[in-house]
Amino acid sequence: MRLISIFIMLFLTACSTKNQPEFKVEAYTCDIEYTRYQATVTGYCQEAAAILPKSIPTIEKEIELRAIASIPEVFWYSTKMKYSLIKQEDKAPLAFVIAGTGASYQSSKMISLQKTLFQQGYHVISLSSPTYSNFIINLDSTTDFPGVLAQDAKNLYGIMQKVYQQVILEDNVAATTISLTGYSLGGAHAAYISKLDESEKVFNFEKVVLINPPVSLYNSVTILDSYLDLKEGGRDAASAMLDDIFSAFAQSYASQKSSAFSPGSIYALFKDAKLTDEELELLIGASFRMSSSDMLFALDVSYNLGGFIYKNHEISKFESVTNSMHRSHIVTFGQYFEKVVVPWQQENNPNLTREALIEQLGLKNIENYLRNADKISLVTNADDIILAEGEVEYLADVFGARAKIFPRGGHCGNMDRISFVEYMNNQFQGAK
Amino acid sequence: MRSFNKLLTRTMAILLITLLTACSSVPELENNTEAPRVKLPTGYAEKAIINEYYDPWEGFNRRMYYFNAKADEYVLLPVVAGYKAVTPDILETGINNFFSNLGEISVFINALLQAKPAVAAETFGRFAVNTTVGVFGFFDVATPIGLDEQNEDFGQTLGVWGIEAGPYLVLPLLGPSSLRDATGAAIDMLAFQAVINELGMAGEEELFLSMLSSIDTRANLPFRYYSSGSAFEYERLKILYMKYREIQIAR
Repeated sequence: MRLISIFIMLFLTACSTKNQPEFKVEAYTCDIEYTRYQATVTGYCQEAAAILPKSIPTIEKEIELRAIASIPEVFWYSTKMKYSLIKQEDKAPLAFVIAGTGASYQSSKMISLQKTLFQQGYHVISLSSPTYSNFIINLDSTTDFPGVLAQDAKNLYGIMQKVYQQVILEDNVAATTISLTGYSLGGAHAAYISKLDESEKVFNFEKVVLINPPVSLYNSVTILDSYLDLKEGGRDAASAMLDDIFSAFAQSYASQKSSAFSPGSIYALFKDAKLTDEELELLIGASFRMSSSDMLFALDVSYNLGGFIYKNHEISKFESVTNSMHRSHIVTFGQYFEKVVVPWQQENNPNLTREALIEQLGLKNIENYLRNADKISLVTNADDIILAEGEVEYLADVFGARAKIFPRGGHCGNMDRISFVEYMNNQFQGAK
Repeated sequence: MRSFNKLLTRTMAILLITLLTACSSVPELENNTEAPRVKLPTGYAEKAIINEYYDPWEGFNRRMYYFNAKADEYVLLPVVAGYKAVTPDILETGINNFFSNLGEISVFINALLQAKPAVAAETFGRFAVNTTVGVFGFFDVATPIGLDEQNEDFGQTLGVWGIEAGPYLVLPLLGPSSLRDATGAAIDMLAFQAVINELGMAGEEELFLSMLSSIDTRANLPFRYYSSGSAFEYERLKILYMKYREIQIAR
């Protein structure tokens, strides 16, 4: 989760990061009490971490999709779409990886997928989610809104082709076959892209793996919105709870022997803080809201919608956007759907009802394809928090033998753990 | 050298004061603008977590944030990359250990000032072991034997004494700080300078040492400006910095 990665980033940056040669990566697990919320926040640390390469030869790439002069000044650092390439020395299979909601091509979950695939002998191209600011700002469109899966897939598919040409030209990438994967929202995108590729036939994917995808975006978003919606007391209750969580961390840190931070001591912090499920839900909800406010602000700026910012006003690079941030924080994903997505889609297609649109935003819309596409596999967890009642069973039914459902892990909490990586290694055997 | 330093400090101080008060972060609106459609409930802004932290110098801070990002991009990070390329990993770690070890002196003094004898004793032990067995601090032999690294500075000491953080302040090159912590950092730096003076080094050696120290510090910070991609990175970093300092002071 974003909030956690920011926490960790803060801990790593603010104190001296001394190299500790005696520290063994594969050795530690945590003894925090398991819940699906805990696994979503701290990762499924009760299971041992997989052994992955410590560092990989990542090449930072960027591609111009929209005239740089047309990029709004407040996003001056975001001209050109950023992505990454990790290249094998010789000819090898290639895998595209698509990030989850609000995440960039270099999020921590993306990095563990990159390491897994690179270790299996794949070239890896990583793309940010269509919900990530840099993607939104660089998308050459005046009509598309992220989350409308078919449109996202069309855009991603186009970008994948351009990016593929670029790495052939600039980095001499030679691919034998091409595969595709993505986690969370990126998993749903992968499903739609795979379907599109059946008719366009540009990549002819060898293998497609959907990792913890939502079945219905509307359901998932409703669940995540609800975590921040503390009915009794509303905002005040939420801030009071955040304050409690914070002081629990502060107390736990004060009682630790060393002031240095390592992954082990971060688990210890969580263990001592003894967060309740409700508090963990709040952290997840807050992190999700932060992603959504980034996304909505980028959309607002890019399309001049006048939602949180002054319409027709060009924000300068030194201007305060704090008030716009406050405004974006009070908007739920649900409201974004009702007030922005539905009316805009209806403008282009007046016969489209709200209910029909909800149906379109999920895997059920392409169920027939998914049932019969042998190249597609699904991996998720039985206790994934973004799945509503009955949706795990639905996935098991649609994918049949091509579904792998781990009993534990929450939402994407086990992506760097032994059994998950083992599963991925079995799926991606291109080089062997 | 000394008079040049004095002049530099004075010029910087004047520049800082001018800039702090002169820059605005309030937008100048064009004629055809329309107010945002999303309205905040009354009193929202006061309650928002971010407004707990006083930021009257936002205009200056945002400019300094931008300046730091550019300095990082064009000067610091290329230098760090060169440094990493030419220095073997083991030497890099050794250099990092060496400067951390020198830093123990300030941790020790601040632990005493905060009346934390256990922390002071542990830090003294670290310094003694690492300076002797660890060959002037190049090797960290204290951590494996259970003498844990501690983190104290004069900003924290002031905090423990009950002095509030004061306005948020983004320092040139050093980044997020507050009026209290910047004052603390200046005093720590003076103390560090006194230690360096004790070593009796020539001007160029001293300059080399402080440059190496800066490079080492930057090389060990994984932070990259604007890499979160968020338009609200400035706000988020401010909260994280202030919260982190609260956690440190509470320790």
